[in-house]
Amino acid sequence: MRAFILAGGFATRLWPLTERRAKPLLPLAGKPILSSIVEQIPADIPVTISTNAVLEEGFRSWEKTCERPLEILIEDTRNDDQKLGALGAVRQWIREHHVDEDILLLTGDNYFGFDLSAFLRCAQGPALLAAHDVGDRERARAFGTVILGPDHRTIEAFEEKPLSPRTSLVSTGCSLLPKSALPTLMEFAKHHPDNVGGIFEELLRRGDPVECFTFTEHWFDIGSFEAYLEATQALVGDHMLSESTAILKNVETRGSVVIGKNSHVEESSLKNVVLFEGCTVRDCVLENCILDRHCHLEGIDLTGKMLRENSRLVRH
Amino acid sequence: MRSRVLLWIWLACDMALFVGSYALAYFLRVGWIFSTDFPFDRFLTTALLVAPFWLVVLATTRTFHLTRNQRTLRNAAYIVYAALVGVALFVLTYYFRYTTFFSRLLLLEALMLSTVITLAWHVVFQTLQRRILLWDPPRFPTLIIGVTRESKRLITMLQQRHNPLHPVAILDGRGANEKEISGVPVLGKLNKLEETLENYRITHLIQCSDLEQSMNLLSACRQRQITYLLLPSLLGIVERDERVESLEGLPVTMVSPQRHWWNWFF
Repeated sequence: MRAFILAGGFATRLWPLTERRAKPLLPLAGKPILSSIVEQIPADIPVTISTNAVLEEGFRSWEKTCERPLEILIEDTRNDDQKLGALGAVRQWIREHHVDEDILLLTGDNYFGFDLSAFLRCAQGPALLAAHDVGDRERARAFGTVILGPDHRTIEAFEEKPLSPRTSLVSTGCSLLPKSALPTLMEFAKHHPDNVGGIFEELLRRGDPVECFTFTEHWFDIGSFEAYLEATQALVGDHMLSESTAILKNVETRGSVVIGKNSHVEESSLKNVVLFEGCTVRDCVLENCILDRHCHLEGIDLTGKMLRENSRLVRH
Repeated sequence: MRSRVLLWIWLACDMALFVGSYALAYFLRVGWIFSTDFPFDRFLTTALLVAPFWLVVLATTRTFHLTRNQRTLRNAAYIVYAALVGVALFVLTYYFRYTTFFSRLLLLEALMLSTVITLAWHVVFQTLQRRILLWDPPRFPTLIIGVTRESKRLITMLQQRHNPLHPVAILDGRGANEKEISGVPVLGKLNKLEETLENYRITHLIQCSDLEQSMNLLSACRQRQITYLLLPSLLGIVERDERVESLEGLPVTMVSPQRHWWNWFF
């Protein structure tokens, strides 16, 4: 088996946090999302991460912080228009690397709290899909939904972003494609390079069984500012997560607060705030804010803002 | 460089025209002679002395500003105001130097001539200036943020009026379907901001949508010494009745009910 992590998206909805870094490399509760994923993959499974030429540097730097060997695959694209598509990238990798094994397919911007080993143990031959109940059909419209059979394991139908979802059980960014499914994948990806979820519809259409691994642990698709804050709140809880190199003086915190390395916070009130590395905050009231690296704020109040790297807001 | 040279030419021409209009007023009043009763050299010296101060007064009205349209009533009012101050300065200077007064009608003529000539020259010069600043490559490549009806109107207006702020690219936070608007390419979402600012050597950025990103756009502009402009419509002000005022020294955008036109003054 080989693991393939899709990490080539440009993540435009998370701009400006993704202006200079890939979404999978965004720190979530003090650790890059991708690190959380890779740590879960059993050591004997070779890991390939697919990204694009623009984001390459960030992945190379991150790779040095990893303890296990990784293969970083660089797609030669520099913008959305040139993208191969997620499934297209998988297809290219299979073809160029002559992959002829089961594939653990993961998306680099999905955080999942379940034990990946348990998922792998659950695989019994057919394609396997990890699914999570988001508890709200309206919310499920943004994802691929999974309709289970009477055995609560076999998938009867898969609907990609349905207008009227029949269930709130959604596909997460974790699946296992057996070696036998690869020819179908290669053919399907040729015509639908962007439609990752579509491969399961295609397998079902051809009569190939697809099974479901349902989990109740945390799952977050970090696609937006709100999703990122929600994930932080769920993982950190009503606590403050602070790096040892951060300096805090007279700081009042409420909700989930994450303080990055070498950040300096003084005389401020923070509620549900994430500060990346090297931020300086003095005499501020911040609520539901994310500050990218080296932001410098003095004497201002902000609510619901995501500030780009090196932003400087100083009230004179 | 192009804009700076043009500005110096403009200032120099304005000075010369101010002195010239006073000289013309002299000859129109005195006749086409050099009077011994009212020596021309004294008159000219005073006009030359006053000209720089008049120019400073004119500059404080921001009439030389890049975004000022010379063909507006407000601009004409500013020029009249500066001309009035010019006449007052002229009278004071002449009296201080020679302790004598002269024809009041001449002063009226000088006021009218300096106003009309300055205004006409400003209109002509702005037309020339705009053409020159738009020569390829345009001096002020401008990035438009947002594909909205407001931004489309803005682009059309800037193009039709040959405004020196020349739209060269558009980015849209939500990803617009249009590929171009009035010949200006829509390059994509805001993730292309940095490369667009770099590649097009943007000098001005006009935000027409994505209000939630104003801080980040402003931050990018500050880091690159780019001038940032925000359309009032983004704040819901669409009726063109806003003013930038000062509240205890703090600049504020003000929208207040106006019953009569003269309320503008009070």
